[in-house]
Amino acid sequence: MTTVIETQNLCRDFGAGDTLVKALKDNNLIIEKGEFTAIIGPSGSGKSTLLQLIGGLDSPTSGEVILDNKNISHMSGTQLSDFRRDHIGFIFQAYNLIPVLSAKENIEYIMLLQGISADQRAHRVKNILHEVGLQGMEDRFPAQLSGGQQQRVAVARAMVSQPSIILADEPTANLDSKTGAALLDMMKELNEKEHMTFVFSTHDPMIMQRAKRIIRLVDGKIVDDERRD
Amino acid sequence: MSEHNRLISRLASRNIFRNTRRTFLTVLLIACSLSALLFSDALIRGSLQTMVKVSTETFLGQAQIHKPGFRESRDVDIYIDDTKTLYKTLDGLTEIQAYSPRTLSGGMFSSSENVSSGMIIGINPEQEAQVSKLKHVMQQGIYLSGKSSEILIGSELAALLEISLGDRLVVTVSQAHGGELSQALFRISGIFKFGDRTLDSQMVFINLAQGQSLLNIRGVHEVAIKLQSLVYANDKNHALWQSLNNDTWETLSWMALMPQLSGILAMVDYSTWIIATIMFILVSLGLINTMFMSIYERQNEFGILLAIGTRPQQLFWQIILEGGFIGLISVALGSVLGGLGTWWGASKGLNYMQGLEMAGTTFNEAIYLVADTGHFIALCLSILLITIIACIYPAIHAARLTPAHAMRKSL
Repeated sequence: MTTVIETQNLCRDFGAGDTLVKALKDNNLIIEKGEFTAIIGPSGSGKSTLLQLIGGLDSPTSGEVILDNKNISHMSGTQLSDFRRDHIGFIFQAYNLIPVLSAKENIEYIMLLQGISADQRAHRVKNILHEVGLQGMEDRFPAQLSGGQQQRVAVARAMVSQPSIILADEPTANLDSKTGAALLDMMKELNEKEHMTFVFSTHDPMIMQRAKRIIRLVDGKIVDDERRD
Repeated sequence: MSEHNRLISRLASRNIFRNTRRTFLTVLLIACSLSALLFSDALIRGSLQTMVKVSTETFLGQAQIHKPGFRESRDVDIYIDDTKTLYKTLDGLTEIQAYSPRTLSGGMFSSSENVSSGMIIGINPEQEAQVSKLKHVMQQGIYLSGKSSEILIGSELAALLEISLGDRLVVTVSQAHGGELSQALFRISGIFKFGDRTLDSQMVFINLAQGQSLLNIRGVHEVAIKLQSLVYANDKNHALWQSLNNDTWETLSWMALMPQLSGILAMVDYSTWIIATIMFILVSLGLINTMFMSIYERQNEFGILLAIGTRPQQLFWQIILEGGFIGLISVALGSVLGGLGTWWGASKGLNYMQGLEMAGTTFNEAIYLVADTGHFIALCLSILLITIIACIYPAIHAARLTPAHAMRKSL
């Protein structure tokens, strides 16, 4: 197996002095290619902070984050942007599409940043829209789509550039159970078909049911790491 | 343009219409500032042009010729004797439209009721009518016809001396060549009103021949000139001035004759740019405020853009472009509004300064706005540049956001 995510003694503190909060404490974690992992834990346990550090959206107080054999802990803003663009797909809780771009343009955005040709972009957008079941809706703007449809666009955006890692922060939190289950089944199918590595931060039992690995965080520390083969 | 640049442009152009009311108000602020600036620039230029026109056309002339030394001393002995040669020279210059010879001397005016002092100016009525407005400002009576004993008197002086048309007026002057006192009796043939206190309270006009006879001279003290174009008067290096300046004649344009007015003219550009700078600061602050409001509202979105791979510098340029688009729309609207205002002011004229006196000039006609195309374009481009510069600070702020900090709502 190939290691795609590795953290070494990862710590993240917020505040200082009396207000110091140790959000993450000395966490070591290895995630292999193609895993479908859920990070669970109570609110304030550090799930989102861990996901932010893995995704290069924040800098650790100490420790290292190594993705695809590259240490991202000391990269500049531009280097991190480029790295995220080429290696990580994000799915957020609140869909977080760009409201002034249509579904197609949202999906295309990262490929445009990557300099992929118009033909190839069109081909990939067409395929991914088919895969997420949004054919015919490519010209709609986010405000014209339902929550479930928006999250499907977000999944398509995260996957269309074929990153090695997909980080999803409570992706089903704003969806009804039926829509959420359908979306998870779709992601599971893509994980199995494309061998992308999925890491979820979640409270949702549906995700926990489908995950092959469950990492439990309590008070900023990994206390349990369960694999389900 | 690369596809990525097109994407940034598309994002920027769509973003400025997300909050149409705010964009509209910002555009209105900038456009109104620009149009006010363009209008005031044209108004200042129009006012000055009117001042120059009024000053030169009322009585002064666009240029004057004297014998060297006369202007400083006003000595009646210093006059141009060889008028024949001078007139021949003037007649041969195509730049000169008309000229009017004058005798000038101080003197005493005595009526049956009062006594006053002032200037006695001898003129050739026909030639003077082509250079100054004297003929057109006759309030009572008739203009000079060339007959002896005719005299035109200013309205304020007439009131002071308590005289009216047909009344007698004794004029006493000190003659040239020895200073003998000379007196002559005139009958008031006309009362003029230039609307300028100095001219109306201190001047009387008589026929040139009588002026020469009264002062015992054959020549003239002054020749006022009207040029084919004011451009010649404004150009110090024009060949005209060389041909009219020698040991016998000293010729000066209105710029030298009225240094206070030419000084104001020289200050026009500075004053416009001072007003512009104040406007620029106000516009910049307004735009910075708008951009920051917009950025704070979209902070989460910027976090997303950075998270999915947008480089900080790409975000920076997106904000700059948004400011640039707002600037472009504002400049287009402002230049149209300012242009229309200037066009209206240039064709209709403004009468708000009627009767006011400034730098020795009384505004007795409407001010017609004058647009300077170069200045108009420079002001429009400056506003556009300022809107872009004003966006640099908000753009840097946006580009420096860390995705995690910006996206507090999610991840």
